[in-house]
Amino acid sequence: MITLENVSLRYAKGDPWALQDVDLDVTRGEFCFVVGQTGSGKSSLLRLVILEHEPTRGRVLVAGHDLGQLPHRRVHVLRRQIGTVFQDFRLLSGKTVYQNVAYVLQVLGAPGHEIRQRVPETLALVGLQERAKRLPHELSGGEQQRVAIARAMVNKPPILLADEPTGNLDPDTSAEIVAILERINRAGTTVVMATHDTSIVDQFRKRVVQLHEGRVVRDQAEGGYREVTR
Amino acid sequence: MRPGFLLGEVANGLRRNVSMVVSVVLVTMVSLFFLGIGLLAQQQVDTAKGYWYDKVQVSIFLCTPDSTDVASCAAGAVTPEQREQIAADLEGLEPLVTQVYYESNQDAYDRFREQFRNSPVLDTIPQEAIPESFRVNLSDPSKYEVIRQAFEQAPGVESVEDQREVVDKLFTFLGVLSIGALALAVAMVGCAVLLISTAIRLTAWSRRRETAIKRMVGASAFSIYLPFVLETVVATLVGAALALGLLWATVRFGITGFLSELLAGQSGLISLVGERDLWLITPFLVGGALLLAVLTAWAALRRHVRV
Repeated sequence: MITLENVSLRYAKGDPWALQDVDLDVTRGEFCFVVGQTGSGKSSLLRLVILEHEPTRGRVLVAGHDLGQLPHRRVHVLRRQIGTVFQDFRLLSGKTVYQNVAYVLQVLGAPGHEIRQRVPETLALVGLQERAKRLPHELSGGEQQRVAIARAMVNKPPILLADEPTGNLDPDTSAEIVAILERINRAGTTVVMATHDTSIVDQFRKRVVQLHEGRVVRDQAEGGYREVTR
Repeated sequence: MRPGFLLGEVANGLRRNVSMVVSVVLVTMVSLFFLGIGLLAQQQVDTAKGYWYDKVQVSIFLCTPDSTDVASCAAGAVTPEQREQIAADLEGLEPLVTQVYYESNQDAYDRFREQFRNSPVLDTIPQEAIPESFRVNLSDPSKYEVIRQAFEQAPGVESVEDQREVVDKLFTFLGVLSIGALALAVAMVGCAVLLISTAIRLTAWSRRRETAIKRMVGASAFSIYLPFVLETVVATLVGAALALGLLWATVRFGITGFLSELLAGQSGLISLVGERDLWLITPFLVGGALLLAVLTAWAALRRHVRV
């Protein structure tokens, strides 16, 4: 589903490498943690997948698209197949929970009956059906992140990328959020989550790809945060 | 993006950026107003010049029943004998006189009606008040004095006028007005382009979160740009409508009203632009403004909005 072949990334000539010779293959339906210290290249890796940046070297394939060959005018087609969640939620403050989620479908031109059906379904998936009429500032951090997950998933993308989704949350709420991601994963969505949350990685025991100074130093099935081998 | 949602986005954008929208409306209005004035003035010069330079250099107006206050018209309207004598005298002035055109009272009245079709005073002028005349072309227009001296006191002649001198002053004035208005219009159009570009930049900044979400979920560049472009188009259309209103008021009350009355006493002076001329340039004004607005908005979006 996501393949990086010998990928290196440098933002500008003379800058240090953000990623170096990364080889990675995430198969359909997998749940993968990408871990590492701040600046290790986790977010850079995710940005390559949504084509926010192009690799300096190497090849990236996502959902059947070779991103190096994808014309700029077709990038939006790729992005429709990827849901994205960020640490800072990025909700529209003037819109209710329902409107925030419906906004995606409206932007993509979905008909009204489809919006009326899919938004409540997706809110139920993240356990927010009772909060549909609330504004973001009336919700807790965990609830706001759940809205962001619902927004990312309402279009039913086959891939979900989460960049430090628990970075602003307490441990219990973080576990709830990752449990939701796990539920989404069990339904068939490929999930890649960048994090430096030790307890979450240790608790959920998924595949762990560890980055250090832009290089993959560990790729371990059902790994913990600090294990080198298992 | 469905039309209902798109219109909602546009309405919301206009409401959230009222001050920028108003500034685009005003700058568009002023620039189109000056552009319109420039074009109308240009049209005025072109049509009047075409008419006069082709047809006339010197006019010998003959007496009407009302022109008894002039010594040579004391006997009233020109008689057929007097008219024939003037024609013969003109023939005798060849080769200075190259062409003579006799305009009867009916011809003059018809032409007057056509020229002053936009004037409210048209119906107050009786046909007898319009003098018949000889229109004379000279091989050397500067020798107008020869004609004047030969005919000014002649029986049956009310006056001799070098039309070219009269209209040239007006053409010069209109030419300067036209160039001035067009120069101002160019400057204002430049302002409009810069303002639209700045407005797009500020609007895009104020809506960066919405834009980022659209981009993230896979909206195409076209659908991200479209609401911004439509908002610019709405502001431009409102500005264009106001400019047309101002131009219409200027033509209706300033030209066919005030100026036409002011010039009505100067017989056969010039035909003035009217509302019909304004409607003729309207598609170019509005179409040009829209095209410029869309191109400017699109270029600004490509520069300032990442998709």
